[in-house]
Amino acid sequence: MNVIEIKNLTKTYGKARGITDISFNVEEGEIFGFIGPNGAGKSTTIRTLLSLIYPTSGSAAIFGKDCIQFAPEIKKEIGYLPSEVFYYDNMKVKDLLNYSASFYKKDCRKRIIELANIMDLDLNKKIDDLSLGNKKKVGIVQGLLHEPKLIILDEPTSGLDPLIQQKFFELLEEENKKGATILFSSHILSEVQRLCNRVAIIKEGKIVTVEKISTLQENNYKKFKMETKSALEANYFQISGVNNLEIRGNLTSFLFRGNINTVMRKIADIEITNLWIEEPDLEEIFMHYYEKEA
Amino acid sequence: MNIFLHELKSHRKSLLFWSIGVFLMVVSGMAKYAAYSSAGQSMNDLIADLPKSLRAVLGFNALDVSKISGYYGMLFLYLLLMATIHAAMLGATIIAKEERDKTSEFLFVKPVSRTTIITAKLLAAFTNIVVFNVVTFVSLLFFIGKYNSDGEAVNGDIALTMAGMFILQILFMVIGSALASVKRKTKTAPSLAASILLLSYMLSIVIDLNERMEGLKYLTPFKYFEAKNVMLGGGFERVYIIISIVLIIAFSTITYVFYKKRDLNV
Repeated sequence: MNVIEIKNLTKTYGKARGITDISFNVEEGEIFGFIGPNGAGKSTTIRTLLSLIYPTSGSAAIFGKDCIQFAPEIKKEIGYLPSEVFYYDNMKVKDLLNYSASFYKKDCRKRIIELANIMDLDLNKKIDDLSLGNKKKVGIVQGLLHEPKLIILDEPTSGLDPLIQQKFFELLEEENKKGATILFSSHILSEVQRLCNRVAIIKEGKIVTVEKISTLQENNYKKFKMETKSALEANYFQISGVNNLEIRGNLTSFLFRGNINTVMRKIADIEITNLWIEEPDLEEIFMHYYEKEA
Repeated sequence: MNIFLHELKSHRKSLLFWSIGVFLMVVSGMAKYAAYSSAGQSMNDLIADLPKSLRAVLGFNALDVSKISGYYGMLFLYLLLMATIHAAMLGATIIAKEERDKTSEFLFVKPVSRTTIITAKLLAAFTNIVVFNVVTFVSLLFFIGKYNSDGEAVNGDIALTMAGMFILQILFMVIGSALASVKRKTKTAPSLAASILLLSYMLSIVIDLNERMEGLKYLTPFKYFEAKNVMLGGGFERVYIIISIVLIIAFSTITYVFYKKRDLNV
């Protein structure tokens, strides 16, 4: 069953770039990554799903129901963490969470305390006095306290330290095991790779591809950069799988896709002073997809 | 209900300050009456000698300011101005503030419709307005009672003008909320509501100054329930009540219709 079904969703507004003809589905029980650079339309898509803004054309359904017509009903089972968290400044964390809980017809008190403990959040502080990271924690607790069936996260990790981030991911995996579906928007590939089953890549308001993470990783480039004692012959790394080969003096760099051992053997044969192997950043993944389209 | 209570709580402080403000206005206004009443007829003569334009701007009118009813008629204008400014800003702010404070991504993803949210907010604003009106009314009854040495029967007139003020408070509240819901940049709605209010106040003065503009009196709510008419003419004119009700319904409808359709600024 599809928890989210987006059909030809288009939103244009003013000068800001919107989204064009977006379609994808999120299946029940999966952690679905939604990835793209800043300003690509991730938040616009999510806000349309939540009927904060209305689509110019196209439609979206959540739990099989139109996301505008049945918005209040659908939202009972949605937990949302916005990319930038803003709350009523003069409220205490505790009061804000209770206010949030008051919208759902269940007793959330126990869950609030549980979540606050996991996230290491002080419930008695004023929202105004919280750091960005702590506000984000409030956002997380606020989004999860009613044990929603669909969790929508818009760049949730910004501002969280690695330790809390780790706990947060564990929490998400736990919720997922309990049956929650998660839509996880991010511009950081590694966190999407770590969590998600499938991913939609969005660029300039359009979906570039929807793929399984495993497929994406098989197709994935690694970025090699090395410093050698002396300049390499131009064709030393001319083997299959190597792209964008660039030799500048003692610095050699290229992208590689394929069996990593072949390239490691080649590297072992030469005298190097330094070596960097990096995951390609998003831009490079996109380049990969554009190359494929061309 | 939870939104209603939340709104009441978040406007509690501002309501307290406005109430103190209007209370002090009544206190200081009535303290000055002591001077007016002791001056007796000479004060009336002095005012009659003022140029008409100055009289209109200061709010002196056909009433006898040496009598407590006449003096109240003048004071009422200032109370009305204060009450409507409060109402207009409140109506605009209560709608606009979610977007101003960027809390719309909190409130509008909750399982409630926008209609429910607007209703709760307008009810909270309405409650604030009732409190403001009651505070004004009670302070007036108390202080006018205190200075009313002649034992003039004014309480009925005060009640009537307060009822007029209440209608205008509601009217300006929904003008404010309609502005906040129509405007894309909601942040500026409260100041725009206040500007519209001051403009219509100035229009009412211009009409006082220039008899040929009499026909424009339907355009400014400040002409609807003027103290001199309500007190001397004995009550409200039906046409103004009808206009007020029509406008209140119209602006409330605009608030709902536009807010339901708008893309929230997040």
